[in-house]
Amino acid sequence: MGLREDIERFREVGEDRREDLSEFISYGDLGGSGPNSIKIPIKVVDLPKFEYDRLDQGGVGQGKGGTPDVGQPVGQPQPGDGDEDGDPGEEGGEHEYYQMDPEEFAQELDEELGLDLEPKGKEVIEEIEGDFTDVTRSGPHSTLDFERLFKEGLKRKLAMDFDDDFVREAMKVEGQDAQSVYRWCRERNILVSLPWIEDAWTKIPDDERGKWASFEEMEENVERSTTLQRIRRDGLRDVPFRREDERYRHPEIIEEKEKNVVVVNIRDVSGSMREKKRELVERTFTPLDWYLTGKYDNAEFVYIAHDAEAWQVDRDEFFGIRSGGGTRISSAYALAKEILDEQYPWAEWNRYVFAAGDSENSSNDTTENVVPLMREIDANLHAYVETQPGGTAINATHAEEVEKALDDQDNVVVAHVSSPEDVIDAIYTILSTEAE
Amino acid sequence: MTMRRFRQIAQKAAEQLEEPVREAGNLARKLGLDPYPVNYWVVDYEDMNQLIAYGGFQRRYPHWRWGMSYDRQQKQDQFGMGKAFEIVNNDNPSHAFLQESNSLADQKAVITHVEAHADFFANNEWFGMFAGETDLDAAAMLERHAETIQGYTDDPEIDREDVERFIDAVLCLEDNIDQHRTITDAASGRERVQPEDLRKRLDDMDISQDVRQQVFDEEWLDRLAETEAEAARLDAPRRDVLAYLRDHGTYYDEEEGKAVEMEEWQKDVLDMLRTESYYFAAQKMTKVMNEGWAAYWESLMMGEERFAGTDEFLTYADHQARVLGSPGLNPYKLGKELWEYIENTTNRREVADKLLRVKGVSWRNFHDAIDFEEVQELLAPDPAIDGVRSDTLDLLAELDEDDPRVDWETLDRALSGEEVDVDAYPWKVLTYEGLVERHFSLVKPQNRGFLGRVRRSELERLSRYMFDDEMYDTVEEAVADVDYSAGWDRMREIRESHNDVTFIDAFLTQEFVKDNHYFTYEFTQSTGEFRVASVDYEDVKKKLLLQFTNFGKPTIVVFDGNFENRGELLLAHQYNGIMLNMGQARGVLERIYDLWGRPVNIATIVKEYDDHDVEVARRRNREPTPIETGKRLRYDGEEFELFDLEADIEERIQATDVDYDTKPEEWLS
Repeated sequence: MGLREDIERFREVGEDRREDLSEFISYGDLGGSGPNSIKIPIKVVDLPKFEYDRLDQGGVGQGKGGTPDVGQPVGQPQPGDGDEDGDPGEEGGEHEYYQMDPEEFAQELDEELGLDLEPKGKEVIEEIEGDFTDVTRSGPHSTLDFERLFKEGLKRKLAMDFDDDFVREAMKVEGQDAQSVYRWCRERNILVSLPWIEDAWTKIPDDERGKWASFEEMEENVERSTTLQRIRRDGLRDVPFRREDERYRHPEIIEEKEKNVVVVNIRDVSGSMREKKRELVERTFTPLDWYLTGKYDNAEFVYIAHDAEAWQVDRDEFFGIRSGGGTRISSAYALAKEILDEQYPWAEWNRYVFAAGDSENSSNDTTENVVPLMREIDANLHAYVETQPGGTAINATHAEEVEKALDDQDNVVVAHVSSPEDVIDAIYTILSTEAE
Repeated sequence: MTMRRFRQIAQKAAEQLEEPVREAGNLARKLGLDPYPVNYWVVDYEDMNQLIAYGGFQRRYPHWRWGMSYDRQQKQDQFGMGKAFEIVNNDNPSHAFLQESNSLADQKAVITHVEAHADFFANNEWFGMFAGETDLDAAAMLERHAETIQGYTDDPEIDREDVERFIDAVLCLEDNIDQHRTITDAASGRERVQPEDLRKRLDDMDISQDVRQQVFDEEWLDRLAETEAEAARLDAPRRDVLAYLRDHGTYYDEEEGKAVEMEEWQKDVLDMLRTESYYFAAQKMTKVMNEGWAAYWESLMMGEERFAGTDEFLTYADHQARVLGSPGLNPYKLGKELWEYIENTTNRREVADKLLRVKGVSWRNFHDAIDFEEVQELLAPDPAIDGVRSDTLDLLAELDEDDPRVDWETLDRALSGEEVDVDAYPWKVLTYEGLVERHFSLVKPQNRGFLGRVRRSELERLSRYMFDDEMYDTVEEAVADVDYSAGWDRMREIRESHNDVTFIDAFLTQEFVKDNHYFTYEFTQSTGEFRVASVDYEDVKKKLLLQFTNFGKPTIVVFDGNFENRGELLLAHQYNGIMLNMGQARGVLERIYDLWGRPVNIATIVKEYDDHDVEVARRRNREPTPIETGKRLRYDGEEFELFDLEADIEERIQATDVDYDTKPEEWLS
């Protein structure tokens, strides 16, 4: 009853209309998503209304600190552009998103494509500071294990504790002296020292000496108290702390194998890579990045752009760069090797090297340089994504040559994407290939 | 969820707020406002979100859209954007809700804001249009609707999904009402005159059969009757599409295979939702004005009247910045700026009017003859009025015994040691006359220079019919005669009769647009992006009017309920140069089909761009001219068909003199 039901009903309506994952990858707007949150548009849930065409309508904006010049681009129409309804809380906004994190994305993609990629724990010894469970005999005062010190002191005290009243009574037995009382105490396992008895002996009032005829008589008439009773009665005084009982705690070192992955994205940015091809690369690479982020504990990314030269770039620029020059794919692999060797040792990192381009390369570069480099770079997977909208050009043979030359390697895969429909297949091809 | 529960949860918070609530009401009335009484409720976060989702009320009919609002609200909260500070509903008495966890400064801000809204609800005639007809008890009405519709969904005779689907369909048209008329007037439609069949007229004329057969053959008469009837139908377009469907709608009965009359529950639901549309219409029509009004008075009470304690002022300033500083065109901000502009211009006119009556001052020499610094000094409020504190009360007491600016009764009580906390509530010892002087806008620091910027043309207009233009010997005398209440009096008049459209139309000037940096933007086909199109106030006004006229939505009317004699519904988009979102229009047609039971059509005009033209335009740095074509989109329950529009209908929906395009001839970049 009430709002809860309305919310539930809304979820049902919304869930029904979420864009299918593979449809989203192939055709959807990937731009709204970040590396850690993937936003899948929900086909507009809200009810349709007779509205103006958004582009045709234009609008009014307000400059901050000045009026902008006519002709200046204003980007997307600013949010809050008066088309909200009057009802409070009902804000405009045509797109609803279903948000998922990379883990969920990877899981759903696994289900959708029937993938089964098990991330490997690398022999990376990661020293994690565990709980403060290890101890040493010295250390900063703040880490002193006082509880232990106290307990040890207490044990010590208990061990040395004896019923002093009882011993004093024993001294009142007829005909005994300090020595015989001490011997008697020892026989009774009363942990008293001779000096203490000698000291106490002198303090026994003379008229009380000979109060008891024998030790036996005394024992029958005097009730002994236990240590616990004495502590209760007298309180805990003078706990003997000893330097040798001090322990200092320090964190335990846990050795963990971590599932690390580094993904190298290489993209040909030369003149022949036109808008459509660029978009296809983005469509293929981005979901791969999300997927691997979702699969591994720790994912790092290296973006390399190349024409005849290669250079490392940020993710933000990666898909947008366009340059003039020719193409030499080996330049990118050389740079990738350098970065991987330096920062991501194979013993510690899972490595994925994804390259994309239209298969054009300068003559002989593939066989003479790229193929040897690909052999040299240890990786879980080397993938080349050939993007070729508009058919095969004659000199575009890189993919073919790679495939042929590295036929013997089980960690090399080539995928072809010539239109958005191919993206999902390519992703499947790539992710279902991996060296054992 | 009952009011009682609210109260119990937050007993403590409520006690703390009793004084601010009482005093805010008093202050509002002192300032000349006349709000409905307001009942305040302290609610927790959950309840608040629910109230927001429900549009400010506690119960609404079952529907997933409330779930959607709730969901959005929560998402906005996550990003800290949409923090809800106030909810007040238009009711007499009004009910306002305060969130328990807000700071005291926030609560005070909400309360002052709410008092101003309640004043607007009570005095704006667009609100009066709904309230006037019924005993306004919105909460009870909405609750009744909720119960009735809940009853239908629980009714075993009625399929739950049918109810939801029916509500969906009606909600698509919730803005397609005739909001400028009362709900009753709109229901009857405008008078339609069915022309009499010519045969009957001929009968009356007593023409002989012979002549008649010679001149008018039967076939011709038939055709004439038909076209005349057709034309008459088209002559009476109905804006209240919901009312039309209520009277003529049917639904398609699968079993019978034809359209049958709506069930009773359907008519009932439609009636209720239509009533709710009319109830909420006033709010939607006055958003800029109403929010601006509330923001204006909130700021005055909280800031200038120190309703925020000094320790709370920082929190308040922060809150204020967040509300007004949202990105994009912000109705709160536009509204507040317009109200301030109205206040300033009215006050300026008042001062200029007096100054023009000083001997030797004319509109020609005004700017040279007047020492504006001096005028500012003279206009500044009496120090006794300006700096009211418990230790300056003697200054007030020294004023003339009949000085109308002083609330003598309260002052006497304060001076005789009775409990009047003058430091917290300095306004208590002043009257409206005192307060208008204390807050006269032109002497505020941010408005310095405003007086000097008065245009000569305005001065000329002012002095055109001015006879006694030598009333004063000195500027001093003239200023002494200034009516400090001019601005506020005028503002209250305007809040009575205007809505957003008339408000913007009447008060948006070049000066305002320039001072506040407003501009229009348009989509450019040649670059595929939005660009600044104009900074001219006429253009900004046009675009704003487009955004606020008819809830910012295209005007859709019913042209015909028996289109082409096949019982089809013909809706028409009254084209104003901006085309429909066709995707949305399809969605609406699909759902209207559920209310009509037979094929539905919409006549509209679409703009198309020729690729070649776009290319040429791009090279010439111009915008391509679209080709406008009349289209009729038809949905028959299964599929859509797009037809070229019949010429006579196209003529009737074509834009004539309206043009909302603000693109410059040539882009300057």
